[in-house]
Amino acid sequence: MKLSVSSDAPGQKMFMLGNEAIARGAIEAGVQVAAAYPGTPSTEILETLSSVAKDFGIYTEWSVNEKLAFEVAFAASLCGVRAMASMKHVGVNVAHDPLMTASYIGARGGMVLVSADDPWAWSSQNEQDNRYIAEQGYLPVLEPSSVQEAKDMMADAFRLSEEFKQPFILRTVTRINHGRSDVLLGEISRDRRKGFFEKEPSRLVLTPAEARKDRPLMLERFDKIKKAVDSFPYNSLELADGARLGIIACGLSYSYTLEALKWLGLDGKVSVLKIGTPHPLPEELVKKLLGSVAVVLVVEELEPFVEHHVKAIAAESGIDVKFHGKDLIPLIGELSTEKVTRAIAKLTNTTPPVDFAEMERIRQETAPLLPLRPPTLCAGCPHRATQYAMKIAGKRVAKQLGKGEPVYTGDIGCYTLSYLPPIESMDLVLCMGAGFGTANGLAHVLDVPVIAQVGDSTFFHAGIPAMINAVYNKAKITMVVLDNSATAMTGFQPHPGTGRTASGDVAAQLKIEDIARACGVKFVEVIDPFDMEESIKIFEKAMRFDGPSVVVSRRPCAMLVQRDARKRGEELILYRVERERCDPKCSACFKLLGCPAIVRENGLTVIDSSLCTGCSLCAQVCHHKAIVEVAR
Amino acid sequence: MPSQGDSRGGKIVKELNILIVGVGGQGVILMSEVLGNAAVRDGIRVRGSEVLGMAVRGGSVSSTIRMGDDVYGPLIPAGKADILVAMEPSEALRNIGFMTKSGLVILNARAVVPFTVSLGMSNYPGLEKIVEKLKKSASRVVVLDAIKLAEEAGSVQSANIVMVGALFGTGLLPIKVSTIRETIRERFPAKAAQVNDVAFHLGFEAYSAL
Ligand SMILES: Cc1ncc(C[n+]2csc(CCOP(=O)(O)OP(=O)(O)O)c2C)c(N)n1
Repeated sequence: MKLSVSSDAPGQKMFMLGNEAIARGAIEAGVQVAAAYPGTPSTEILETLSSVAKDFGIYTEWSVNEKLAFEVAFAASLCGVRAMASMKHVGVNVAHDPLMTASYIGARGGMVLVSADDPWAWSSQNEQDNRYIAEQGYLPVLEPSSVQEAKDMMADAFRLSEEFKQPFILRTVTRINHGRSDVLLGEISRDRRKGFFEKEPSRLVLTPAEARKDRPLMLERFDKIKKAVDSFPYNSLELADGARLGIIACGLSYSYTLEALKWLGLDGKVSVLKIGTPHPLPEELVKKLLGSVAVVLVVEELEPFVEHHVKAIAAESGIDVKFHGKDLIPLIGELSTEKVTRAIAKLTNTTPPVDFAEMERIRQETAPLLPLRPPTLCAGCPHRATQYAMKIAGKRVAKQLGKGEPVYTGDIGCYTLSYLPPIESMDLVLCMGAGFGTANGLAHVLDVPVIAQVGDSTFFHAGIPAMINAVYNKAKITMVVLDNSATAMTGFQPHPGTGRTASGDVAAQLKIEDIARACGVKFVEVIDPFDMEESIKIFEKAMRFDGPSVVVSRRPCAMLVQRDARKRGEELILYRVERERCDPKCSACFKLLGCPAIVRENGLTVIDSSLCTGCSLCAQVCHHKAIVEVAR
Repeated sequence: MPSQGDSRGGKIVKELNILIVGVGGQGVILMSEVLGNAAVRDGIRVRGSEVLGMAVRGGSVSSTIRMGDDVYGPLIPAGKADILVAMEPSEALRNIGFMTKSGLVILNARAVVPFTVSLGMSNYPGLEKIVEKLKKSASRVVVLDAIKLAEEAGSVQSANIVMVGALFGTGLLPIKVSTIRETIRERFPAKAAQVNDVAFHLGFEAYSAL
């Protein structure tokens, strides 16, 4: 029988993605409200929940941003239902404000925040260890060592949150979220509670006077958790007889450690403390390990969070052991079995079974032979057209005004990829919303045109306050919204501009140009980026406008267009190169646009019909008129 | 050994590490999905992960499938990949540092040349050069034209399943052929299921005929 996340099949095993397993854990716990904003590596959690929401009576939503996702879930918890919010690590920064005060109030219905950290920034603008955020808010953290444990912890976290009346955090890393494994399914709770808001202003209205009263209650709740974690099943100590070395391994690091020990033949010769609750740590277990060995290695992903706490425990209890951690396990890069193996080998004078130096030599030797394959805008991507036109206009306007090159601020999304040649349309990218935000700052200190870009999903997420700021504080900037009718980078999630909700229901469709006008922007135009001449003209007008201006560039994502055409059985009109008119030495089309569908074959320029989506941009830039529609 | 939260007691198999590589859009993730699903059906303990980055936009993709009782980490450590299945030749070369000396490489011959080559920012090595390099790090390198076989099966989209067929043609997998075929058939809607079933068969035969 084919199993799915909604299968009522306790005791059976299913092959699952980490994020599916986390969603399954929430389903097993009877979650009733789940809110999120997309962000790799967390996105599939809410996608999975939304796909079965109606069957289980779960309310799911793609919130406008992470602060909202957290607030929606937290409010539901206050009404006694089980609720969760999931987001990537930087999303927790956006939710930080409500999170830090929610911890003063505590939880009623089980409340779980999933923080998906992304070591090595596989798809992020930074790396961040959110266990520190948890510590700041007296919020307990569960950190799974495997996909199975991610499911189990998630299910358990709701119960624990209710027992200790505090929101819990499930901290994952990319290799858990995007890991896969066989998962033993548990029972699904069909218990559904009716939301009830019990008024209790002395705890829920956080004026200074009430906050001062809430703080000791929060400390008390945390203290209870601290006393309980030693007996949580997620923490366990395996003492090896007469072992000199003890390893403290947190979360997924525990799996790397087990594998490394087997690989080195040290299985059963080293004491191992598995940590599933890095905050607070199981102090008694830590002391037991420290007291039994001479040398300790702390293995954990990203920062030395556990390491520092363990050192503090040792100092407080006067235990004298030699500590290792980030001195042997690099602070840079993703953790791996290989890195843990090297560290253990060094401490135990063992020779690893693989000559890692030799493997590294092979890698370095082959590197120069490899073609560069960076991610790039798809063929037919409307962002390429927008940014190409925007840059031509920017150059012209700067020249006309006798000013230097414009500065282009950007934001996070697919469109960030054109910071690379040949378009090079971004000079500064910080975080979501900062495309408009940083432009506000530049405008007051630079005497060149300042052009700011954000995507449509990003606009709703964090762009609107920055737009209002530009109007209010008279920042003369051109704000470009790249509206491709999707949150494309993370996999086409709907947003307030798409007219659909997470569960696929029809919703109000907000128009970005209406919002811009309501914000008080006096120059607002909508362009079709595939009409290049017109787009350049409007960009020029916007950049010359005396005051903040807005250009909304609207064209659906090429991947969506292709998908829809396929569904409807329609064929797109594609383009080809007319051999006689093409000057093989010219190559302007791909040098200007960097479209992956335009390739060079034996010195000739060719359009790859398997990639072309018929955007016509190359036909518009070709001054030999050599690019024409494919006759049907 | 303490447990990792998972139950054991499945079928005990020798550790086998399979690394699948390619570029965004070639169906690499789907290959590991069907392999993992089939393994679990046969009661085999399995771990894996996908390394994507922003791969959808044409970047490199890799995915791991690891079977065996002593496997814990999701990724394959350097020097431990037993089989490298490459949908694209240069991507095989990019991952050669993971191979064990006694390993096997199964390679789809068709290159996907990145735009950086057209722009003159980098070069694409020829297939012969790639195979020569691969041979230094693996004991056997097998080259197939999966695209051609997929076209024969009825759709170029099924090239990834041709490669899964070839992988089973090696006879090295602990998963039953009937299980993987059933898993593949269930994975797709009726018409695509049939195309992919043929694709699997053609890949299997192509490897066996070598
Ligand atoms: C605070 C925060 N949340 C989520 C993300 C993940 N993220 C990166 S880009 C992006 C969406 C971009 O969508 P959009 O602005 O519409 O641009 P597109 O990708 O469609 O071009 C998201 C959600 C992030 N980087 N930071």
